[in-house]
Amino acid sequence: MAKSKKEIISIKTISKIYHLGDNVVKALDKVSLSIYENNFISIMGPSGSGKSTLMNIIGCLDVPTKGTYKFNNQLISKMNDSQLANIRNEKIGFVFQTFNLLPKLNAVQNVEVPLIYSSLNKKERLERSKEALNIVGLSDRMSHKPNELSGGQRQRVAIARALVNKPSIILADEPTGNLDSKSGEEILKFLDTLHKAGNTLIIVTHEKSVAKRAKRRIEIFDGKITLDE
Amino acid sequence: MNDIIKNILIGLSAIRSNIVRVALTSLGLTIGIFTVSIVTAGVSSIDKEFSKSMAYYGNDKLYVSTWPWSFDFDWWKYRNRPKIKEESLSYIDQYSEYVTDVSVKKNTWIRSTYQNKASWLQINGVYPSYGEMLSGTKVVNGRFFSQNEWDLQRRVVIVGGKVREGFFDGENPIGKKIKIGGVTVEIIGELKEQGMGMVPGGTLDNLVIMPSTTFKRILTRWGFDELVLRAKPEDLNKAKEEVAMIMRVARKLRPDQEDNFSVNSADAYQSQFDSLKTAIAAMGFMVTGISLVVSGIGIMNVMFVSVKERTKEIGLRKAMGATNNNILIQFLSEAIAISIIGGTIGIVLVKLITVALSSYGGLPVDFDLLLIFYTFMVCVFIGIVSGMIPARTAANLNPIDALRHE
Repeated sequence: MAKSKKEIISIKTISKIYHLGDNVVKALDKVSLSIYENNFISIMGPSGSGKSTLMNIIGCLDVPTKGTYKFNNQLISKMNDSQLANIRNEKIGFVFQTFNLLPKLNAVQNVEVPLIYSSLNKKERLERSKEALNIVGLSDRMSHKPNELSGGQRQRVAIARALVNKPSIILADEPTGNLDSKSGEEILKFLDTLHKAGNTLIIVTHEKSVAKRAKRRIEIFDGKITLDE
Repeated sequence: MNDIIKNILIGLSAIRSNIVRVALTSLGLTIGIFTVSIVTAGVSSIDKEFSKSMAYYGNDKLYVSTWPWSFDFDWWKYRNRPKIKEESLSYIDQYSEYVTDVSVKKNTWIRSTYQNKASWLQINGVYPSYGEMLSGTKVVNGRFFSQNEWDLQRRVVIVGGKVREGFFDGENPIGKKIKIGGVTVEIIGELKEQGMGMVPGGTLDNLVIMPSTTFKRILTRWGFDELVLRAKPEDLNKAKEEVAMIMRVARKLRPDQEDNFSVNSADAYQSQFDSLKTAIAAMGFMVTGISLVVSGIGIMNVMFVSVKERTKEIGLRKAMGATNNNILIQFLSEAIAISIIGGTIGIVLVKLITVALSSYGGLPVDFDLLLIFYTFMVCVFIGIVSGMIPARTAANLNPIDALRHE
């Protein structure tokens, strides 16, 4: 852990509690966590452990029931929907297991999606999108639709989309889950490269081999962090 | 603003990829807009035609006839009324305070010929004063007949604007001789063309006017007489009552007997017409209203399907930073666009039909920019109303659940 670095995320004793009928489910139970610039973190845990909930809260898709969450010193836990949307738009890049590309848009248009909700004009958006596709090595596939790309290429388009708004952190949820081992390895190598280039990465996974690539490993079980090394 | 446009564009791109569904959905609106446009255009055209006919009858004229001018005439009641006689004119001329000019108007239709051409013409036999009483038209070529010609029962006629075309291939008809029921008459004047009118007989221009004396001498066929009276427009209603009184006296009617004649004027016709027009418009708007409601429901339905289908896309867009408003605008503009597409097809159909109608010489239908503007507004309104609930549903989706949706 590189404590000397700038703290991006500061989570203090957050809980997330769901009420399912009469049952009260504590998806997260007083979790505290700090994430610093250029961290490369993996979060592991079985299903139902609360790792998705933690991921959603870190990604500002959800807010905790209790506790405080600060992102770059901004208090996320009290924000409304549209403030959260702005944080997601400017600070966070998402990579999903199922890529989640829009099938009717080509590669550049897919990468452009986050920028549409920013204040950039059309020309700047196109430049940034091409630049991002260039970084992931797909500059020759700009006008291909997702169904004309291989699984690995699709995930690279998705990574380009996550990079395009120059986020503070990149959140990858099982990024290799839908890929064969060769493409998966290719993606993981690429994530390494991104880390070396100075990006802050969080990978959620249930595969040990994937988790080992990270510099800092977090394990979560029954809503509590059981390992952070 | 820029932000709104971007989201509208996203909404529109969804239309492009679902063109068949959009076309079918907007069909209801097409029908609705089509009906309302046709009805509006139709009513305003009928209105225009009608004013032309009103000009023909004039706002300063009373017509004493056997039949009332009414759309709901009761044939049995009026058929046994005594004929209008020219002699009544002398009473009116003598006793009326408001009537300034009088003329008989003898009417008949007869087959007339010029060389080898034949046509049915409306023949009017009138007094010399009728030349001053013409309304909606005037003598534009030649002259009206004189008192002297009337006295001497001369065979001179004034023809309507269509006769030139029908008989003389557009040549000047003055001085030409035509045969009316076998009798040769000379054309001395020509009237300005008035066009089609909603009057008994249709066109106002297949007309021949001659001295009533000549009419009596040469035309023994079936026909009927009317009395045409002129008064100042502001005195017309008073004149109407007065003439009715004089006619009752002339016909020696007892107080308990009903009028056995009718004093008609254009404004009575007008009020009859107005109620008919209202009925047509009400029918049209009802049909339109129903089809617009139905099509609104159709659009709402399709929008719900669209939101359902694209739940994952909504989740993704929200994760990428789309706010609830961004999503709202995206889906609302999709609904409005479907609505406008339907309306536009409707307008185009109406346009095609109006062009076709006027080229066939049928009822000319009015069609203007204002109508297009209103249609557009109606479409936008229906789009907003029917798109609002689905769009709100989309906007309020939880991004986590939406992303997980398959």
